Amino acid sequence: MNGTERGEGVGRRGFLRGAALAGAGLATGGAAAPGTTTAAPAAVAPFHGAHQASVLAPPRRTCVFVSLDVTTENRAELTDLLRTLTDRARFLTSGGTPSPIGITGPPADSGILGEQLPSGQLAVTVGVGTALFDDRFGLAARRPRRLTTMPAFPDDDLQSDWCHGDLSLQLHADDPDTALHALRDIARHTRGGMQVRWRLDGFTSPPRPSGTPRNLMGFKDGTANPDTTSGREMDRLVWVGKGMGEPDWALGGSYQVVRLIRMLVEFWDRVSLGEQERMFGRARSSGAPLDGVSEHDTPNYADDPKGDVIPLDAHIRRANPRTAVTADQRLLRRAYNYDRGMDANGNLDMGLLFCCYQQDLARQFETVQHRLAGEPLTDYITPFGGGYFFALPGVRDATDWYGRALLG
Amino acid sequence: MQLAGLGRRPLRLWGALIALLALTTVGAVLLPRASHRSPATGDGLRHTTIEVSPSRCGHGWQSATAGLQVFDLRNTSDGPTEVYLEDPASQVVYGEVEGIGPGVTRPLTVRLGEGTYAFKCVPDDADAVTGPSVHVASGRRGPGAAPVTEHDLIPPAIDYQKWVAGGLSEVVRLTSRLQRAIDHGDLAGARWAWLPAHLEYERLGAAYDAFGDADAQINGTDAGLPGGVHDKGFAGFHRVEYGLWHGQSAVSLRGPVSALLKSVTGLRDSWAQTRMDPAQLGLRAHEILENTVQFELTGRTDYGSGSNLATARANLDGTREVLSRLRPLLTTRYAGLPGLDRELDRAQRTLDGFRHGDGWTRLDQLTRAQREQTDSVLGDLVERLASVATLCDPRRTA
Repeated sequence: MNGTERGEGVGRRGFLRGAALAGAGLATGGAAAPGTTTAAPAAVAPFHGAHQASVLAPPRRTCVFVSLDVTTENRAELTDLLRTLTDRARFLTSGGTPSPIGITGPPADSGILGEQLPSGQLAVTVGVGTALFDDRFGLAARRPRRLTTMPAFPDDDLQSDWCHGDLSLQLHADDPDTALHALRDIARHTRGGMQVRWRLDGFTSPPRPSGTPRNLMGFKDGTANPDTTSGREMDRLVWVGKGMGEPDWALGGSYQVVRLIRMLVEFWDRVSLGEQERMFGRARSSGAPLDGVSEHDTPNYADDPKGDVIPLDAHIRRANPRTAVTADQRLLRRAYNYDRGMDANGNLDMGLLFCCYQQDLARQFETVQHRLAGEPLTDYITPFGGGYFFALPGVRDATDWYGRALLG
Repeated sequence: MQLAGLGRRPLRLWGALIALLALTTVGAVLLPRASHRSPATGDGLRHTTIEVSPSRCGHGWQSATAGLQVFDLRNTSDGPTEVYLEDPASQVVYGEVEGIGPGVTRPLTVRLGEGTYAFKCVPDDADAVTGPSVHVASGRRGPGAAPVTEHDLIPPAIDYQKWVAGGLSEVVRLTSRLQRAIDHGDLAGARWAWLPAHLEYERLGAAYDAFGDADAQINGTDAGLPGGVHDKGFAGFHRVEYGLWHGQSAVSLRGPVSALLKSVTGLRDSWAQTRMDPAQLGLRAHEILENTVQFELTGRTDYGSGSNLATARANLDGTREVLSRLRPLLTTRYAGLPGLDRELDRAQRTLDGFRHGDGWTRLDQLTRAQREQTDSVLGDLVERLASVATLCDPRRTA
């Protein structure tokens, strides 16, 4: 949304219904003041639509990922919570001037982005976990058919404090202050309705020197993603559609898998380059498959049946064997790097905030995950948390809200 | 509860600043109006420059349009002033800027809707002046409230002060009982007597400097003490608590409990001579539970008794006591009052669920769901109580 598209004065007001800070709401900036001719940049992801556009949007430079537990007492309050969450997300992504509330309360906004919130610089992704479909809100019968609790996979060391949750909320932006501002705003307006269960912040590195950004093992990560500009491909791999046995309300959503994966980077740095590359199946410098020249070359496994060039247990070969049979097992990777300080014995605590989207957890993520079990890379990583969520269908317009079809 | 710094009333440093600003003021007053330089904005909002002075208060607008906009309030007088944008008939205030220094221009962002408005200039050292009225024909305006004056707050403050006085006498009585148990070497009895005495004190809402230095002696923690819990300066309820729940002998606790009794007795006696600042009332309504969130729900103030949730419950009582005195002022001013009442009840139900006879669940025994419920309901309450503090901040209207 671009502020200059709006008329003089104020476009809309008073989105916030029934929240603690009554009166806070959105006011878009109106016509640009004389002398400010900078056009607003294209939005990170449009807020309104049949899908959450933030699912497909390329990862931004930073993100905040939080899992939340709902603390409301009943379904009506859960509805209020999701409406408030929608109002805040709409406001925070659209930008504008927070509505002043005079002497009736403290300032409506934290001010960390200044008095004017930028437009189109934040994207929000909201998901629901299987825990939300227990007996608290009478939603058991409406659970997305394929939504389960993330199991512990063979190489996992899951910590319960870092797993699962009723809701997932991911805030994507190019600047950390934008994402943190959004987190603070949303938390402030929803304190009585939900609490953060766990939180991990991520970042995307710039291309080094070009192509797909690198992970903290030094390898380009996400090269072989499906084409997000192809609606057909997305309908085949990412979005839940008709005829899949899913409840009507879930159409247009997507299954979100989050995996918090510690990388043992000191150990990794003590491994020879050749061994590192054979574990991934790609050259570290270019990102090319070991049988290719440049990053986006397609590996030719048929010509290498014994794995002489790309070992049979290399990560890219197990993850995506590139056969007709495995084509519908592909998923959309949306991973971020994370860094959270040091561990107890002085090693760096960093790794991958892995996130991916698919229309079927069993057919896609779990199949791939089982195929990856025992891959050589597992010695250098420790998955310690995460969860399965269902990214809700999009908020269609100014009157729609997250979960309307689920709760309405 | 923990003493954490000074109160947050804006400091009135203007006396010192006026002399400094006098030079620039002369220049500003003499400048022709056209040369006034508006601050660069670029915010896309409509801006109107308004004069602030005893003779020309609120000059600069004859008509207005509805919607979000900025008034650049330019103080052309030689003294600092407060400015309110009010409905002159009801005196409901829709926006304010405090302490605009002479020669200074400060923005006031408001949303105007259908109604009549006037600026009221309240110089620090002169009577208030209301400027011309301007009518807006349509639109929904931002929220407003009639200001609370210091005069409004005096009767509730006196009433609250009397209630605190009664509570302090009870603290002295219960602390004496605790001392007797320790003097008799009855450590089990002392552990049993410690909690009621401490909770009675916590019920008085000694948040953030309410009792001044006395609170540090009565209810301080070991924060900042070089020797930590073994520091000679560690005193009060938590010092005694540490000893009672860490196997210290009754003899070794005689000194600390005697000092505690002396402190609470001293506070009770001095309280009778103290006059509570009425401006504190609204702040207390908010900050008692801020203190709870910061020090009780984190377990920071637990020295072995595991009674943080009991303390939180006592703090909730203390908040209700303040609110009950402010209620007549809030009913017409705080649209969120019914919601606040509902959440107070919810917090009470939640905390009462952790009480088992005389005992309370320890904070670290809460399940994750219980912990989240507790944090959620008290977090929600402090958001709502913040509005009580801003609404009950005393404002001059004449």
